[in-house]
Amino acid sequence: MINFKNVSKVYEHEGEKLVAVNEVNLQVERGEIFGVIGFSGAGKSTLVRLVNQLEKPTEGEVLVDGQDVSSLSAKELRGMRRKISMIFQHFNLLESKTVYHNVAFPLILSGEPRDKVKKRVEKILDFVGLKDRANYYTDQLSGGQKQRVGIARALATSPDILLCDEATSALDPETTQSILELLRKIRDEYNVTILMITHEMNVVKDVCDRVAVMEDGEVIEQGSIFDLFTNPKHKTTHKFIQSVMKGDIPQSILIGIGENNHPRHIYRVTFLKEHAGEPVFSRIAKRFNVEVNILYGQILEIQETPFGNLIVELQGEDSEILKAVHYIEEVVSVERVMASAS
Amino acid sequence: MQVNLLDFWPRILEATQETLLMVSIALVLATVIGLPLGVALVVTRDHGLMENKIVFNVLNGVVNIFRSIPFIILLVAILPLTRLLVGTSIGTAAATVPLVLFSGPYIARLIESSLLDVNKGVIEAAQSMGATNWQIIYRVLLPEALSTIALNLTIASIGLVGASAMAGFVGGGGLGDLAISYGYQRFETDIMIVTVILLIIIVQAFQAIGNYLSKKLRRL
Repeated sequence: MINFKNVSKVYEHEGEKLVAVNEVNLQVERGEIFGVIGFSGAGKSTLVRLVNQLEKPTEGEVLVDGQDVSSLSAKELRGMRRKISMIFQHFNLLESKTVYHNVAFPLILSGEPRDKVKKRVEKILDFVGLKDRANYYTDQLSGGQKQRVGIARALATSPDILLCDEATSALDPETTQSILELLRKIRDEYNVTILMITHEMNVVKDVCDRVAVMEDGEVIEQGSIFDLFTNPKHKTTHKFIQSVMKGDIPQSILIGIGENNHPRHIYRVTFLKEHAGEPVFSRIAKRFNVEVNILYGQILEIQETPFGNLIVELQGEDSEILKAVHYIEEVVSVERVMASAS
Repeated sequence: MQVNLLDFWPRILEATQETLLMVSIALVLATVIGLPLGVALVVTRDHGLMENKIVFNVLNGVVNIFRSIPFIILLVAILPLTRLLVGTSIGTAAATVPLVLFSGPYIARLIESSLLDVNKGVIEAAQSMGATNWQIIYRVLLPEALSTIALNLTIASIGLVGASAMAGFVGGGGLGDLAISYGYQRFETDIMIVTVILLIIIVQAFQAIGNYLSKKLRRL
């Protein structure tokens, strides 16, 4: 649906070159929610604007539905933009106009007849849950409501693609969730392809099918959200994952691991997709002469699959512990936590 | 010889009308010049909708030249032009010409700054929806800036009241003329006081109307 082929964008400012996007290759499939995550300045804002040509690439091509968007004439581009809608971090609504007029705006621009506009706007406002706010002005709305207006406006022209530029970054966590739910509903009901950029791992985790991680204008890693979580290859990816899942072991646990002559047996157990539901600890407790003490841990749900790790202490004879570890190693990943880890 | 203030009222009333007429005509004509000029300054500048260095620099330069000439000098300097346009160089109609030339470029600047205040994100959003540049100008820039423009035009109109009083020096008519020829040159203090009070009332009224309009235009 959206295909970045070796795309670069270089800004030149007073003789100095700034590479915002560097040889990016990405393929966004029809009907998927694709996330691009990166810290600020990573080039993701520029990347998303290359799709609707708010920014022109300096090299490479961006194909939308197989069509190179930078080769379009001004008129063709305007037509294309009606099929590629965009929502923004700061909503970018017309302050002088009502909610109704804001949503009607793209339809008015394309010269739709009045009664058709009215029908469409009412339907969309109902869809985003703002039917009773049609005659409000934007300064009378909360942040979440403003974004709903932005979304309604974006949907008015029945687009194939929705670009989200940090659409939830100005919202509180609860509102963020409701907006993400709405985005999912849009994908499911209208089969809209969604390309979203964000710096929040939470957002990506909850709604995206696939993710690309960007740093310094380059895509450093991409894959399904689950693969990224369970097997991150890049340091930056790791950092993002840690922002929602603490991999560190608290100091209180680390202290005392190697104390006196009886080192404690503390392990980090990581559950993976296919075994997430298995009762491994109760099994080893029954089968071997060990006791399992869970010290710390976190389980997340990613794409409806639980994923996470637990820090456990095994107590008992060394030989029994060894056997127990061997046994569970077949279904989960086990790693001994050493005193030196602090 | 003292003038009886009571007998003088009709003359004061007439002068008030002249002032209001001068200011309103000048305001309308200056806006007709200043509005497109202000829009052009905004859209042709760097990163504007229709970026064009040459057009911007020419317009910017012309506006600056007019803005740097003191009104009293402009008034005299363009007398030949005034005579050409209205056939005379004295009276209310004649005073309108320099007032327009004086406030047109000023209003262009005020419009420019009002339009620059419009949230760039809204313009980007309109572009992302496939709006043409003209649609952005009259459907985004102008409506969004209208409330600020109303306030700025109020500033311009009050400036015009002041300038119109100066036009009295060349026999331009209006309250300024009255204040100068009676109050100042003939030491009629009470006439001076009356004209000043009337000018204060006019300015207050203009500001009140401007504030009201601005508030109304905030929500279209």
